[in-house]
Amino acid sequence: MHPELVVQLIINGLLLGGVFALAALGLNVIFGVTRIVNLAHGQIIVLSALTCAVAFQKFGITPIEALPVALVAGAIIGILIERLLLRRLPEHAQSREWASLLITFGVSYFLVGLSLAIFSGDFRSVAYLTTSWTVGRIDFPKAQVLAFSLAILIAGILAIVLRSTKTGRSLRAASQNLDGARVCGIDIGRMRTLSFAFGCGIAAASGALLSMIYAVNPDTGSQFTLVAFSVVVLGGLGSYAGAVLGALLLGLAVSFVGFYGNTHLGSMMPYVVFILVLLFRPSGILGKPATT
Amino acid sequence: MNRRYLGLAALAILFITAALVPLSGNGYILSLFYVSVLFTGLAYGWNIISGYAGYLSFGQITFFGIGAYAVAIGTTRFHAEWWICALAGGVICALLAVPMGYLMLRLQGPFFALGMLGLAQSLRIATDTIPFTGGSEGIYLPPGANAVWVYYWSLMILVLAIGLTAIIDRNAFGLRLRALREDERAAGTLGVDTTSTKVKAFILSAIIPALLGGGYAWYLTYVEPSSIYSTEIELQTVAMAILGGMGTLWGPLVGGILMSQVSETLSTKFPQTHLMIFGALIVAMLIALPSGIVPAITERFGRKRTATQARSQEAIP
Repeated sequence: MHPELVVQLIINGLLLGGVFALAALGLNVIFGVTRIVNLAHGQIIVLSALTCAVAFQKFGITPIEALPVALVAGAIIGILIERLLLRRLPEHAQSREWASLLITFGVSYFLVGLSLAIFSGDFRSVAYLTTSWTVGRIDFPKAQVLAFSLAILIAGILAIVLRSTKTGRSLRAASQNLDGARVCGIDIGRMRTLSFAFGCGIAAASGALLSMIYAVNPDTGSQFTLVAFSVVVLGGLGSYAGAVLGALLLGLAVSFVGFYGNTHLGSMMPYVVFILVLLFRPSGILGKPATT
Repeated sequence: MNRRYLGLAALAILFITAALVPLSGNGYILSLFYVSVLFTGLAYGWNIISGYAGYLSFGQITFFGIGAYAVAIGTTRFHAEWWICALAGGVICALLAVPMGYLMLRLQGPFFALGMLGLAQSLRIATDTIPFTGGSEGIYLPPGANAVWVYYWSLMILVLAIGLTAIIDRNAFGLRLRALREDERAAGTLGVDTTSTKVKAFILSAIIPALLGGGYAWYLTYVEPSSIYSTEIELQTVAMAILGGMGTLWGPLVGGILMSQVSETLSTKFPQTHLMIFGALIVAMLIALPSGIVPAITERFGRKRTATQARSQEAIP
């Protein structure tokens, strides 16, 4: 084991983890407010990544230029999903959970079919900024560094919005205590829609960034749902700092296992992490043990 | 009472027709019926753990795949009879389902659903990489496949699955399953051993797809990871059970018969977009008729239902 190699793998893992963090953030926002796990999350990421790949191939639009468009388009998809499909879920908590899972499961396959119809089953990625900066003997791939920086930037902006704007505070209030928020005059219905707008917008943005790093095809969508979900689980549900830490750890795991094992094993890591965490530390790495 | 006999007569005609189909000697018709029988059987398997016990699984395809690979590996490497391999696949899945059930069923709601989804995916990736299972090139089964025998095999399993569901629908075990579906903690306080109850349901839900998967491998004469651990098969199975009515005795049958032919037509005519149509159909069903066709019909033309049945059906999403 050369020390340079290890450092290189750590760099790669952390850069990858940044984008994972953004992907997971979207899922976390939605879950926090609505208690719905959006099973179509990965498919939105992949749809966005495929669109970016084709936009780059056909029209030379870089993912960076496409990023704002993806963000808005994703937000619109999110609003549509929430408004049209998830508005009138049953009140009974158990039925509500089943219905939301099955509906987002249906939506996920709708999006897989849509992506297949538009883009076929080919793997696509964006060959943009394929060179690296070299510091000493360590490579910093430009595309990865750029994706990482933008992911952190977007996550940072989101954190500021959640912390210091009225809307953001209302969203956080709704995810901490629904009834309390309602008593304070927060329009819960609006918060639900808003959380889907944020969540799906961020998913699409992370898809645009991922298109520079990963080759994706429509079938890989559920892998990204698992990535996002295992990051959230690793960090502890609802904990944003935990999610970022979890994403970086998962990035490292994928990077190391992918190198020392093979890429297939690397792509199984999100699931392995997901199961291990749920079985041995269900509250996540930073979370407090559940009080139920 | 009359209505009950009418229903039984209709059922008898249905199965006698199904049993006579191979005599027509028409391979195309047989293949259409085989698809119906296969998917209806899978929907019954899914219905026990997800419909009755309320643990939504998006990964029962795992067991279908293990069953299929048991036949593929058994017939090529050990030169065994296919149906013995298929039975062995069922036994393997039953044994696997015990530890798997104890682990996975500790997870709830979305965690269980995604856990099973991930399990199926991981197994597909593993099958793809391990040379023993033929890797991504798959395994060609020895010649001698006979569609008629596979058809009867699947029909037999379907009948057994329906019989099993009919028993569960009435007995105490079924009542315990429904109790823990409605409120697991409350069921526990009332003395239901929730863990062993749901693990048993999980085992039953593993055996049925495993046996059907064994037949499927022999029918296809070729297995490879993406066509066996197929998300499409999983999606269709779930869609059928929802269409007919989750957690009901006749829901999977109605959903399976209605939908398997539609899906066959869709997937040949619109190979690209049929997933889209299926996804949309699931969503539309859950919004328009959340409890499924069978409960909707019984409600409207209602036989008298007992209070427990009425309550348990209302709670289905």
